Amino acid sequence: MRVLVVEDEAALRDSLKERLGEAGFTVDVARDGNEGLFAGLEYPLDVAIVDLGLPNLPGLEVIRRLRAARKTYPILILTARDNWQDKVEGLQAGADDYVAKPFHFEEVLARLQALLRRAGGWASPQLNCGPVMLDTRAQTVAVSGAPVELTTFEYRILEHLMLRAGDVISKTELTERLYDQDFERDSNVIEVLVGRLRRKLDPHDELRPIETLRGRGYRFALPRDTAS
Amino acid sequence: MHSLSRRLLVSVSVPLALFFGVMMLVLDTGFRALSERSLQELLDSQMVSLIAAADPQPDGSYAPTPQELDPRLRTPRSGLYAQIRSQHHLWRSPSTAGLSSDFGALLVPGERHLAYAAFGHDRVAIASRAIQFADDPKGTRALTFSVAVSLSPYEEQQWRFRRKLLGWFAGLMLVLLATLAALLRWVLGPVRRMEREIHEVEEGRCEALGAGYPRELSGVATNLNALLLGERKRVARYRDTLGNLAHSLKTPLAVMRSSLSAGAESGAVGAEIDRMTGIIEHQLKRAAASGGALLGQAPVEVAQVAAELRATLLRVYAGKDLSLELAIAPATLFIGDRGDLTELLGNLLDNACKWCRSRVRLTASSDESAGARERLTLVVEDDGAGISADDRARVLGRGVRADQNVPGHGLGLAMVHDTVDLYGGQLSIDSSPLGGARFSLRLPGR
Repeated sequence: MRVLVVEDEAALRDSLKERLGEAGFTVDVARDGNEGLFAGLEYPLDVAIVDLGLPNLPGLEVIRRLRAARKTYPILILTARDNWQDKVEGLQAGADDYVAKPFHFEEVLARLQALLRRAGGWASPQLNCGPVMLDTRAQTVAVSGAPVELTTFEYRILEHLMLRAGDVISKTELTERLYDQDFERDSNVIEVLVGRLRRKLDPHDELRPIETLRGRGYRFALPRDTAS
Repeated sequence: MHSLSRRLLVSVSVPLALFFGVMMLVLDTGFRALSERSLQELLDSQMVSLIAAADPQPDGSYAPTPQELDPRLRTPRSGLYAQIRSQHHLWRSPSTAGLSSDFGALLVPGERHLAYAAFGHDRVAIASRAIQFADDPKGTRALTFSVAVSLSPYEEQQWRFRRKLLGWFAGLMLVLLATLAALLRWVLGPVRRMEREIHEVEEGRCEALGAGYPRELSGVATNLNALLLGERKRVARYRDTLGNLAHSLKTPLAVMRSSLSAGAESGAVGAEIDRMTGIIEHQLKRAAASGGALLGQAPVEVAQVAAELRATLLRVYAGKDLSLELAIAPATLFIGDRGDLTELLGNLLDNACKWCRSRVRLTASSDESAGARERLTLVVEDDGAGISADDRARVLGRGVRADQNVPGHGLGLAMVHDTVDLYGGQLSIDSSPLGGARFSLRLPGR
């Protein structure tokens, strides 16, 4: 998952970048409103965190312009002015949720994951597709109840595919979600990772959870459980 | 005596009534003197003609010849009576027939007398005069002539005059007072207009007093407008300052928190940061809540604020299968600050959304018969687990400190309670028919 953090306070920005990275996100940062708007418009993001009190261009304006440019990824507001009037204005501008400063990092993470799930049409933090279960909070995966050990990259690819289960996702998109800046990575890496995922999830080649669509990308083929 | 016009009317009508009273007294006295004089003249002339008409009779008495008598003396009870009396003889005019008439005692010749008496029910004035004729040197035949005139026509005239006088004066006084009242209305018009406009400003229907006041009042109006504007600016600046203060305190706190390692977040430093955040949140918000409408501030449409909050909360709670019903009577208004209302409803609805299973309902209505500070009723209820009786008391208890409020109900309720207190309203908690908690607020509104 690729996240943009727009925050003018350096210490806060660095800490968010570090801890979101640890939590499995690919993190872009911006120091003010203008940088934030540029990054928000140009990078292939899954979610953005925007502080409302930004220099140069106010956070509300950044959000408005992103929405005006038809950017539909979820946006989480960070604000020190914790009053309802600001929350109402923020969400009217196009944000999806808010966290008041000072925040517990766990709360920011939980809200981000909830937003991502909702964006993919998932209501609960547990994604269930047939026998495959992925828990976005615990970052664990199990098949038919048996836990499966995945590397960080394998997990990120599976999470991305499962959040948008049924959609075709290109190799380029997957590559961008794994790395910060370097788009020139060999797409073979993705093929290798997907191959390893298939072997771990489906050692006996019975489920065929990940489909390859030649020239277009991959698709998570197992149907979502309607209960989740 | 709290009305200028009433004061003026009273202070003018008292001397006016006094003046008319004295006038009536003077005119009445004059009229009476006049009628007394004409009575006297009548008596005198009748007396003279009676004496002239008296002729000696064969029996030695004197009596007028009937033909020479005034017709009134011949008609019974005509109101004019006469008598000629000597020591041995008595003549009375035919008009006294059937009346018990007493003209008084005999007089010594040369004596004159005026008396008042009653003939039956008729009050009369009696003039008497004793005469001794020149051909009676011993005065044995001295005669006392008396003429009586009924007073009732005079008294009646006097009463008619008084009634007419009273009628005219009362009418005149009423016309004068009515004219004065109309004048006052016209003169005090601008004062009344100012009063009305101040009332409108108070109710938030207009922002400032209008222009076009007369010279004596335009200064007051201008100063009042300057005061209103100044007050509004001052409060806005005050809130801005508080907002900035909160912002500038919370950002460093956020940095401090973020620099704690993952494990230390729940440690002593983390707890202190949480406490400081709570204090900043609670105290600054309480200070920023205005607790009343600023003069000239328009009342807030409850429906609009509620609709905005509903959209916000549905988005925030998008992961929850939730219905948020609004049942708001049309044109329900909150008299106060928009920010305060947003904060109150935001906190209550947020809590309800957090604790409900699937239903939250906001009801708003206004009750014109309630006291000014409790006209607006807001009810927020949900179908969650509700709040136990003990916790209700704690939530509502005064002086709940920021760091020791009911777990799970956050700072929000303490804030709601403080704000409702500031507005002089009422907050109560009970059980909702939906199954969960029901918060009822009574606030100033329309």
